[in-house]
Amino acid sequence: MQARQDAAINIMILHVNHIPPKQTALAASVVSTLVTAACEGQAPARILENLNVHLEWLQYKTNFREAITLRRATRGEEVLPWFEVGVDLRQVRPDSLKEEFVNVLTDAADPAASLRKRVYLEPFTTVRSGLIWRFNNMFWQHLPLWESASGHGFEKALPGGTSDANHPEAIADAVADFWTLLKDLDSHNQLPAEIFALEIGVGTGARACAWLDRFRTLDRERSTQYYPRLRFLLADYSMPTLNRAMEAVREHRELASFLAVDALDPFKSLSFLRFKVLSIHLTNVYDNLPTDEIVVRDGKLYFVEARAYVPAPIAARICEAFGVQPAELGRSVSRLLEVGPQHLHHASLEQGVTFWRSVWDAVRLEERYVAIQSILDAPLPAGVKPGLLENFVGEGVMNQRFHLSSGALESFLNTVPLLHPRGYLQVQDIFVTKLDDYGRMFRGPGKMDGSIVNWVNGALLAEVGAQAGYDVHFAPFHYREGSRTSTLYTTHRE
Amino acid sequence: MSLPILPTTVVGSYSMPGWLERLKTEYFVRRISRQELDEIHDAAVKAAIKDQEVVGLDIISDGELRRDNMIDYFAERLPGVQTDHTSKKFYYDFYDSVVRGKLPMASLRLADDFRFLASFTDRATKFCVTGPHSLVKRIKDEYYKNEEAFATDLARVMNMELKELARAGAKFIQIDEPYYSGFPEDLQWGVRVLNTLVEGVDAKIALHVCYGNRYGKPSWAGNYRYLFPTILEANVQQLTLEFARRGGEDLELFKEFPNKFELGVGVIDVKTHEVETAEIIAERLRKALKFVPAERIFVLPDCGCLHLPQEVAFAKLRTMVQGTKIIRKELGG
Repeated sequence: MQARQDAAINIMILHVNHIPPKQTALAASVVSTLVTAACEGQAPARILENLNVHLEWLQYKTNFREAITLRRATRGEEVLPWFEVGVDLRQVRPDSLKEEFVNVLTDAADPAASLRKRVYLEPFTTVRSGLIWRFNNMFWQHLPLWESASGHGFEKALPGGTSDANHPEAIADAVADFWTLLKDLDSHNQLPAEIFALEIGVGTGARACAWLDRFRTLDRERSTQYYPRLRFLLADYSMPTLNRAMEAVREHRELASFLAVDALDPFKSLSFLRFKVLSIHLTNVYDNLPTDEIVVRDGKLYFVEARAYVPAPIAARICEAFGVQPAELGRSVSRLLEVGPQHLHHASLEQGVTFWRSVWDAVRLEERYVAIQSILDAPLPAGVKPGLLENFVGEGVMNQRFHLSSGALESFLNTVPLLHPRGYLQVQDIFVTKLDDYGRMFRGPGKMDGSIVNWVNGALLAEVGAQAGYDVHFAPFHYREGSRTSTLYTTHRE
Repeated sequence: MSLPILPTTVVGSYSMPGWLERLKTEYFVRRISRQELDEIHDAAVKAAIKDQEVVGLDIISDGELRRDNMIDYFAERLPGVQTDHTSKKFYYDFYDSVVRGKLPMASLRLADDFRFLASFTDRATKFCVTGPHSLVKRIKDEYYKNEEAFATDLARVMNMELKELARAGAKFIQIDEPYYSGFPEDLQWGVRVLNTLVEGVDAKIALHVCYGNRYGKPSWAGNYRYLFPTILEANVQQLTLEFARRGGEDLELFKEFPNKFELGVGVIDVKTHEVETAEIIAERLRKALKFVPAERIFVLPDCGCLHLPQEVAFAKLRTMVQGTKIIRKELGG
């Protein structure tokens, strides 16, 4: 799209990405405002010439972006001349849009401007190793404190207010499939003496309990005596969650075990079960694991780096409310993440939790694009062969932004070695199953209560799975109308 | 060529370098030519031979680095086996091969690969061939309508090839039949076909049976009990079995079913990157020695090293040699 400024023609490239049908009028209005701002000469021509604007609707009500955000690109130490402005239709306020847009463009020419407007909590780093993931860990480690403060359980933050994992029909079908597998192994005299099943990311324990209840019932109905041979492992990295799950499955305590595992590397804790587990299930785990993002702009590749910050006005309010010196906010946040909300110096538990929630609510990410010569230079998840990613992106992709789903890939690769030769992995989550689908809607990161949510790059996961010896399939979760989750399941690749 | 007691060797394949995987895939998507790939293979095989010599193996293979997988290398050479689509997304994928008529007798040209191996090492060599039972499980049959009949014809064709290998100087040939473990009910006819395959071949014949190593993971679970006593009818001199990953319990079978086979004892777990210590290797060998005399034991990994990174494969094999030396010393060698 071209914007005329006086007699000169300036180019401002505007990308309109994934706008929901109901928001088209708003989108048109915003486009009009942006073009008008450009035409009125309020933004420097040099800036407009190098500008790409991406207009989109972030479906997460809370996320890490402001209504209008600036993203610069670098190559080594050099700051590249082009830059990108992201406009979130959901957050824009029409009355101040033009002013904010012009301010961002003006700031683009003034590197010191952001230092006045933001309190940074960390330097630029890869997204997966950024500070927000420490907040995410803290949420799961101190879940009861957060839930007590919010007044509701974490599952209430899910769409529909409940986890699809607990749907009784889905569980009944999963149990029936598992029983069929056992029966088949049994008929070939290959059923192991101990039947291992594993759930990673146990949530409230409701799914495990329902699954075990159903399995016991089915086993009794069919007189197969598989239930007593079952060894059901509940694994999570959050001890509060495990404790809750332990209570939920108390009726099955004799065959249930509770294990603290690193979701990124279940094998580390469970290597004694190598090639022994017949069923592994995960729900909403992969979408909560650290990830990085790759951006393709005009056919060139960039890696996304980010640094967390709090907008200066909000930082000032937080500091005032909690008696923190403005210059000390970063240090207070570091301490919060280090010792937890209950041990913040000079703060009561309640104050600590409120401080935590306030900072989390305010924290944003400033992104920059770091040029990479080749996709082979991208920091790939452990175990992913460079050529695989090169083939995945393919040729001819000009503009795209997608997750590497680094944590999910790592977790997957560190989970499948546990599978018995006839075993299978099922993962219920939000998956992007085709690379092109990244252009259809915003895929995160979003905030889900005190945790992070990202869609999972299922298409890449399928490629990685194939090279690990598993065909990876995705089936929509058809048990609840409107559900966006789907189930990844593996079959052995011949 | 005399061998020390407890000769060390590989099952067949050596580590497939990542760069070679990429170049093989480049060939299948038509980005490099057959001639270029052949030259790359030559260089890779020489490097694999050198690595095996450096770690101190007594018997050397070509690392099977020319092979995409254990099936296609033979399927594309077998006369009468048709592959309708010879393009692959990933080199390790299987072709969809099919046989639509009676297999004619013709050469598979395997002897060229053996000659290449022999020309680059002074040590004893081993050449490995996928057996007919495993091949019929992956090649679609639209003619014979009977697995044993198909496998028997395959065995006849491949018997000629084994004889050609022997004429080229191959003194030690290994037949790989991992699919026995997936289809134990086939064993009776599997052994009949095996005997057809090796009939009149003037070389030592080993039979390798494992639980699969596709993508570096087992394809089946179970134990070797299903092999006995049927396997005693196999006209082979050596059984090569996996004991490292699965433990040595199945060694008891050699006591329960006395036999004259040499035993290739798998002492390296190729499905983990963790490198065993020499003492672990030694302990595994001590256990085997309780059931089979030293003069009938060969030392090798559980299966091929294909899926191990080069540095891991190298370290594991070096440790295997060191562990073997411990036992040789204990035996007074």
